[in-house]
Amino acid sequence: MRRRAAVSAALAWTGLLPLAVLTFLFMLPIVWMTTTSFQAGEKMFQLTTEWIPSVWHPENYPNALSRSAFPRFFLNSAIVSASVMLGNLIFCTLAGYGLAKYRFRGDRLLLLVILSTLMLPLEVTLVPTFLVIHTLGWVDSYQGLAGPLLIDAFGVFLMRQFMLKIPSDYVEAARIDGAGELRILWSIIIPQCRAALAVLALFSFRDSWDQFLWPLVVVSRDEFRTYPLGLVRFGDDYGNPPTEQMAIAVLATIPIFLLFLLLQRALRKGFDLSALKG
Amino acid sequence: MKHASNGRAVTRRQAIKRMSALGAGAAAVTAGGPRAFAQPKAPITLSFWTFDNPQQRPWIHKRVNQYMEKNPNVKVDFQWFTFADLGKKVSVGYATGTAPDGFVTGDWLMPTWLARNLIAPLDVKLLGYSSLDAFRKDHADAFVAGAMKDGQAYGYPLWFYGFCNYLNTKQFKEVGLDPVKDQPKTWTELGEVAKRLTIKQGNKFTRQGFKFAMHAAQWTMIQFNPIVSQVGGQWFDASGRCTINNEAGVKAMTIRASLARQYGAEDPADSIATFPLPQMDWLKERCAMFSCHPIPPAAIKSQNPVMESEGYFLPVQMAGVTPDKRYTTCYGFNLVVNARVPKAKQEALHDMYRFVMSDLVDCWEATAPFTLARKSGWTDDPRVKSFPHVQEIIKAKDNGVFFPRTPIWAELADAMHRAVQKVMLNNADIKTALDEAAAEVDRATAEFKKS
Amino acid sequence: MISYRWRIRLWGMAFVAPTIAYFLVFKYGPMLWAMGLSFTSYDMMKPPRWVGLENYASIVRDPIFRAALLNTLVYIAGSTVFITLMALGLALAINTRGRGRRVCMSGMFLTNIMPILAVCLVWRFLFHPHGLVNQLLRPLGFGRIDWLTDSTLAMPAIILVTVWRFAPYFMVVFLAGLLAIPPEYYEAAEIDGADVLRRFRHLTLPLLMPVTFFVVVVAALLSARIFLMPYIITGGGPGNATRVLSMLIYETGFSYMKMGRAAAISVVLFAIVMVLTVVQMKLFTRGEEDYA
Repeated sequence: MRRRAAVSAALAWTGLLPLAVLTFLFMLPIVWMTTTSFQAGEKMFQLTTEWIPSVWHPENYPNALSRSAFPRFFLNSAIVSASVMLGNLIFCTLAGYGLAKYRFRGDRLLLLVILSTLMLPLEVTLVPTFLVIHTLGWVDSYQGLAGPLLIDAFGVFLMRQFMLKIPSDYVEAARIDGAGELRILWSIIIPQCRAALAVLALFSFRDSWDQFLWPLVVVSRDEFRTYPLGLVRFGDDYGNPPTEQMAIAVLATIPIFLLFLLLQRALRKGFDLSALKG
Repeated sequence: MKHASNGRAVTRRQAIKRMSALGAGAAAVTAGGPRAFAQPKAPITLSFWTFDNPQQRPWIHKRVNQYMEKNPNVKVDFQWFTFADLGKKVSVGYATGTAPDGFVTGDWLMPTWLARNLIAPLDVKLLGYSSLDAFRKDHADAFVAGAMKDGQAYGYPLWFYGFCNYLNTKQFKEVGLDPVKDQPKTWTELGEVAKRLTIKQGNKFTRQGFKFAMHAAQWTMIQFNPIVSQVGGQWFDASGRCTINNEAGVKAMTIRASLARQYGAEDPADSIATFPLPQMDWLKERCAMFSCHPIPPAAIKSQNPVMESEGYFLPVQMAGVTPDKRYTTCYGFNLVVNARVPKAKQEALHDMYRFVMSDLVDCWEATAPFTLARKSGWTDDPRVKSFPHVQEIIKAKDNGVFFPRTPIWAELADAMHRAVQKVMLNNADIKTALDEAAAEVDRATAEFKKS
Repeated sequence: MISYRWRIRLWGMAFVAPTIAYFLVFKYGPMLWAMGLSFTSYDMMKPPRWVGLENYASIVRDPIFRAALLNTLVYIAGSTVFITLMALGLALAINTRGRGRRVCMSGMFLTNIMPILAVCLVWRFLFHPHGLVNQLLRPLGFGRIDWLTDSTLAMPAIILVTVWRFAPYFMVVFLAGLLAIPPEYYEAAEIDGADVLRRFRHLTLPLLMPVTFFVVVVAALLSARIFLMPYIITGGGPGNATRVLSMLIYETGFSYMKMGRAAAISVVLFAIVMVLTVVQMKLFTRGEEDYA
């Protein structure tokens, strides 16, 4: 009895300290990236790291943005990622719900078939996907950039797993009460999946935001370029101080981080009992 | 690009064009000489891709824009990509019918394009030469050999340069050496000078005497190729089998490894080289000597402003197995034309290329010290002659040897890169590593022959 | 008149249908094309030429392919196990009551949203023989460690970066799963006298099964596909120490322009991942009928 109490206490207490240390270690590269973005160009590769710059160079940021059409690149990335996020939210939820709640023989096989779309690496399907996009006339366009990412099997899988846990009794009860299927989905299921939806929104936005290989193939014009293409091209040019490259990288983390903070509340809410009791 | 709505203005412009076309004829392409531009009359759109480089790309862009101003009926869609990505974009472009009409290619890739008939033979008359012979004589021999096939020229060379041994003269003087008189002429001398320049603290190098960049397969090839040639080795024998693992090859690799293994002057694992700046170790004065392509002053200034302003660096010829064999690899970039585009576009591209290349002194001013493949039109200009150390750089270009011309260039480079990594980083046995590399290359050759 | 049962089933199919239609055009079409390509020789510039099983025979004979295959299995196993453990651990630690938990979660999540190029640059620098990682380890008695240039350490280094990058990603997923467990269950268990460890084993873990299944499968799928990170950090080196199949596919297809061969390698990768997923499915979804 005392041993168990001691273990409980130990677990509760030891939680924070190692966590804080771990967080600090995890964040070291980010801290390095951020402080480097304020350094002078030639201080980038010092092995004795200067954690706090002796001279701050905030002008790295406007300089970096002006060297290439970065504002436009970021806007393009934002438009594409927002579309991808919306597409995933709508269709993955629908499909995940269908797989989770409407059980039929072979639905796990169907899940496997859907997951199989993730098993061939992008490099190999690059050329044929490009041909599809080319046939649709979507090269160098937002539709071309977002098209192949609009519905991701990860998202379907995620929603399915979360929706599995929702007891079917509620659904059955609602049906008996005469509620339509779509209404059930909207009023009963979705409020209970807030956390999963937040995760889905975050990850689909993030996966699209960071995409490099696909935009490289489908875009050749600056007006549709996304920021990873700009960043790589920027970095390859030794005329651009590498510290400015870090500045762009820091800027690139901001939108997703904001989205993350926004969705944190939804992540915390999780299971909402009140919707069921009503 | 302006489309005149006033009919009279268009007619006048056309009249001027016709007059200049009649009056000029085929002109010799010399700086300041008369220029004749046979102008296609119909509006024409061209797509042109190149790789990014802080000096080279803006200069081409400027010239293309100037061409568009002079030829309002021509619209050029000018795009650029990173060095590594350009090849992929072009390949995917060919696969999907979206390849550019004209592009810049590294000359080591010429066999790749040529083997698949993807680039068109050039009409040298449209480039301003009276004959193929005149074209050939105006360019460095071996470069032309790579750009010509079956008596036709396929590439119009732009930049072309070799590697030099860049010395940090301040560090030389620190240890009592004279950078000019004591510059290493043979590999043995290089090892010894490097040893004197090395400073170590325990097992950590404060300063490495000499460094070979190891960040990319391309550089491995550039650096290893001349050593192979110097010892009389061969990449392939007459039957196409890879012979890099023969006695000469082993000797070449031993030389390559000697700086670290024998003289203890290099630490291959300790480098801060990056893809855009492979010479970082040298720029940060972590090594006293470095094998590199011509380094623009702006690149030096970006990481070491004092070195640039005080000028304590000196490019000299690389070491050789004997003092008369101090050559390096030469490589460069060609303007090429997509074989799959219509004749009219091909001719327009020729015209544009001729214009772009018609002022090489301007090119030098923008992109020095990257030297040009062409012999005429720039080397005698005082602005070229006054550039610091230009003679060494031109000498490196003139004396260089070329990459093995092979359609399996990428496989060869990767195989050698792996071999060098095994030898330098994992202390592998040289003969074993070379045997493995030769086997990989032979496999790739066999694969290619089947396709 | 359609029966009640069938009406429900049709709705189910209707929900899944748009996704399937989309996949047919954008995924299955290209996938089948790519798989078909594995039986051809295709350099992207001439039309594909049928060669039957030659590509497969050729890659089996290739020592580099075999090395990459082994590396991939090691990489997938190592990454998946450590990502899952670390993500679960982090999520549990953050889920307890206490100050600063949310700050830690936000901070760690930042690692996942750093642009990949910056990640590679930074870690290449951190792993330098005289870089920060070694500097931090020196007081612990370690000498100089050549993380990226020692062929036995390069793969662990890449796995470390992978875990660093993705554990927070999956931590968020585990957190969402933990938060979905009604607190009344815990209260009831506490009243019944179960302590922390017991609650964890008999309440938390089983209820987390669906989420754990997701994490394990997705972590494995991700590590099978990832190539930009190892490609930029070590380029597959030294030698072939960190060359994984996805990297080999990229090189074979885009550097050597042998798309047919690259397709064959990716079919092998596909098969591996498929087998892995099926095994995981069997392990984790035995109890799924309970949820229906």
